[in-house]
Amino acid sequence: MSTREDKDRLELLQGTLDLLILRTLIFGPQHGQGIARAIEQTSEDELFVEHGALYPALQRLESRGWISAAWGISRNNRKARFYRLTQRGRKQLAKEAAKWNRLAAAIGRILGTEAAEG
Amino acid sequence: MFGRKRKPSDFDAEVEAHLALEAERLKEQGQSDDEARMAARRAFGNVTQTRERFYESGRWIWWDHLWQDVRFGVRMLRKNPGFTMAAVLTLALGIGANTAIFSLGNVFLFRPLPVKEADRLTVVAVKYRADDDPGQLSYLDYQDFRKQADVFTNMTFYDLNLAGLGYRGHADRVIMAFVPSNFFTMLGLRPALGRLIAPNEGDEPKSGPVVVLGHSYWLSRFNGDPGVIGTSVTLDGQMVTVIGVVPEQFTGPYNIVELDAYAPVGMVASAREYASFFTDRRDTELRVLATLKPGVTARQAETALNVIAGRLAKAYPQTNQGETARVIPERLARPEPAVESSIPLVTTIFLVMVSLVLLVACFNVANLLLARAAARQREIAVRAAMGATRARLIRQMLTESMLLAMAGALGGALIGSWVISGLEKLRPLGDFALRLAFTFDWRVFSYVSGVALAAGIVAGLAPALRVSRTNLNNTLREGGRGLLGDTGRHWLRNGLVIAQVAGSVIVLVAAGLFTRSLTNAESIDLGYDPHHVLNVNLDPKLQGYDQPRAEAFFRQLLSRAKALPGVESASLAFSVPLGYYSDGTSVYVEGQPLLQGQRAPGAGINCVTPDYFSSLRMKILEGRAFTDADTSTSAPVAIVNQTMAEHLWPKQDALGRRFSLGGSEGPFKSSSQGARRQWVTVVGVVRNARLQGLLDTPGNFFYVPQTQSYKSTHVLQLRTSVAPQSLIVPVESLVRDLDPNLPVYDVMTMDRAVAGANGYFLFKVGASFAASLGALGLLLAMVGVYGVVSYGVSQRKHEIGIRMALGAERGSVLALVIRQALVLVGAGVVVGALAALGVSRLLVSLLVGVPSYDPLTFVCVSALMLAVAVAACYIPARRAARVDPMVALRYE
Repeated sequence: MSTREDKDRLELLQGTLDLLILRTLIFGPQHGQGIARAIEQTSEDELFVEHGALYPALQRLESRGWISAAWGISRNNRKARFYRLTQRGRKQLAKEAAKWNRLAAAIGRILGTEAAEG
Repeated sequence: MFGRKRKPSDFDAEVEAHLALEAERLKEQGQSDDEARMAARRAFGNVTQTRERFYESGRWIWWDHLWQDVRFGVRMLRKNPGFTMAAVLTLALGIGANTAIFSLGNVFLFRPLPVKEADRLTVVAVKYRADDDPGQLSYLDYQDFRKQADVFTNMTFYDLNLAGLGYRGHADRVIMAFVPSNFFTMLGLRPALGRLIAPNEGDEPKSGPVVVLGHSYWLSRFNGDPGVIGTSVTLDGQMVTVIGVVPEQFTGPYNIVELDAYAPVGMVASAREYASFFTDRRDTELRVLATLKPGVTARQAETALNVIAGRLAKAYPQTNQGETARVIPERLARPEPAVESSIPLVTTIFLVMVSLVLLVACFNVANLLLARAAARQREIAVRAAMGATRARLIRQMLTESMLLAMAGALGGALIGSWVISGLEKLRPLGDFALRLAFTFDWRVFSYVSGVALAAGIVAGLAPALRVSRTNLNNTLREGGRGLLGDTGRHWLRNGLVIAQVAGSVIVLVAAGLFTRSLTNAESIDLGYDPHHVLNVNLDPKLQGYDQPRAEAFFRQLLSRAKALPGVESASLAFSVPLGYYSDGTSVYVEGQPLLQGQRAPGAGINCVTPDYFSSLRMKILEGRAFTDADTSTSAPVAIVNQTMAEHLWPKQDALGRRFSLGGSEGPFKSSSQGARRQWVTVVGVVRNARLQGLLDTPGNFFYVPQTQSYKSTHVLQLRTSVAPQSLIVPVESLVRDLDPNLPVYDVMTMDRAVAGANGYFLFKVGASFAASLGALGLLLAMVGVYGVVSYGVSQRKHEIGIRMALGAERGSVLALVIRQALVLVGAGVVVGALAALGVSRLLVSLLVGVPSYDPLTFVCVSALMLAVAVAACYIPARRAARVDPMVALRYE
């Protein structure tokens, strides 16, 4: 049975993927495909998100009340479910981002490269 | 959270939208239609898996599984109707017993009166001697408490009374209350019809000629006719106007009997033959209710009232000496305020007993489930092999036992309501209906649901855990014959049997002790002979007779009754031994002035005609009985009981001594007030009799001639040479001849009368309840033993076949099976007896003449249990002995 492996992978993605989604939504409401696209583009295609994996994450965030969702119309006139950052989500993003930056800086210092400086 | 459920179809639509958007974007980059769609899918990953993850993360799956389990469970239960019926019936009996007992507890302890601020409602009662039960107040005391106490927001009272309610010439005897005008407003009640008593209406003596009807009485006597408002009826012969009907849910402030009518307190003066109600502090008739101010506790209120009681005792030492007040939350003062109510104890004991019976029932169902699980072993192994997790299997099994428990709860609620309505049909208060009102309110509902839930888990958990641990490899390989013979399962089943037997033994011991108590109570020497006596109650006041007319009526009645064939002697008395009403008074002994702060002793009193003592066969020890020469104009005389003679004139001859009811100063100058104000001479001493309670040692009691102390309420008592019931019709037609409209009531044999609330009622009900529970427990344990033994035999057919093939006799196989069963049952009996020794100590205060460790009871119960167990395993044991070795061996 593959359930356990799925769970392991989810665990691995959880922190970062959640952060990336929250960060993307700061520019305004977006649907799932848009979020996936935005993450890929802003990371200059360094990060690839398996689109399917996005949805469990979106659901999780929604159930925690960090994002809210509503059906709307996309730019090219398609019905899509749009996600919007809530007030609590905004706070969470700030917290998570700070944590991530500290972690990245710390790892950067240990590795001794300039990579962490950005 | 449940509100945010998202439907799978909504999620599917979102995924579709995603794929479409992505494909469109790719097409814009120049890919072809097909390529774009493929690429979008690739980028998405596994669509089905994403969907599944959505589904599993949601609550839908939970409901889906539950629904699946329920549907499957119902199907399984329907496929095995025999099993289902047995399990449901078993649980229904257990839960029914629980429902009945809890409902009784609900009536007495939990259910508040349906009135305003019921949680702050208290009963105020006073007592004058330290060891008395707190009781009713006098009108004057009530007024003083009401004016001076600042711990209550309001105070009211009711005065319970029997009265004749006449309508169209015919009088009905009703139970009613005289109430002050604030009674209904304080309780926050609104009329179902008409109006209730208005402010200040009828608070003055001889005012307020109106009556408010009880809801049930309005329905039964007036057929619920709204036109009854404004009608004139008579109350003890006085004209009054019906002004309203109380709301249906309000059955009166007296918990166990529904009141028929309410009249303003001012009507007391016209209804009673004496008017001391408003003026005499010795006339204590009021049952007082008071609402505590918010934040004030009953105890604080009691302290405040006792300050007032102290003041009253100083101001009126004659009447209020030693007075103390009690403030008891209303729910704890049912049906009467008592120093130490046994109701919580009795309720607890019976709740423990019914819980044990339910536990025994649950173990039976657990055993049934285990046995059935054996048959389902293969099905379960297949489910496990198909990927059902252990938790899922346990859930499935528990769902099935829950379904059984729920069906059992439904049946149990039915059984419970039958038991209660059966109890209501018993009439411990004469003709008055006992009102236990089985209502399925939220308390009963939560209790029954809780019990059913517990039963479902207790019955289902062990089998579920056991079954789900199945080693599916073995099971599948064994071709489904199962490995239930493994040792672990044995101790589980055996443990269940031991627990069942132990539980039943505890219940049986309690039942035995209660039964022995009843037998002992029934052999108590009452001091009179209740057999072959017929009681007929009448009260000419109900038809508005005055004293001379009533006396003439009674003379005629008595002489005609004596002439009836089959009547040995006939007499009249005011109260019936162990009846629900009696009279008492203070007595002042001539030549024994009271010391400062000393209260006059109290005594019970009955007024009787000369033949009373021969009718009831009460032995006059000294002096004489009354004669026809004791009349209203001759010297007042009394016959006292042994206790009174010894108590008031210790080591002296009581004959010829005098006492008074009027006060220590002796007789008043004017003798026109009747016997109360004169010296009364003792002319006889009669044997002690149990008149007010079965178990209390008889207190002071004396009898006066009916001619010297008028009462309108009387019981005609006939000693008969024939069966007393056979005289009911002739006596009733005799009364009809004298006055066709005069109601006769509480017409019953004295044997039945002494089985009333103050007599054997509680013993009988307690013993028969306990005995039924014991029988139920025994039956369930028997079924349990039978089930386990016969299952064991079917599992061991092979082994038994070998034994027989090797030459074992039928008899020895029979003995083998029975011996093994008896080891289990014996263990259960020992465990149960030990536990019962501990538990039965709780019963001590309820037992009569039997110790809680009564060896006879314990021995009998153990023997009964073992005998029943032998009977239960005889059938399977015989089946074992009939095993054909050839068949058993070939079977493998």
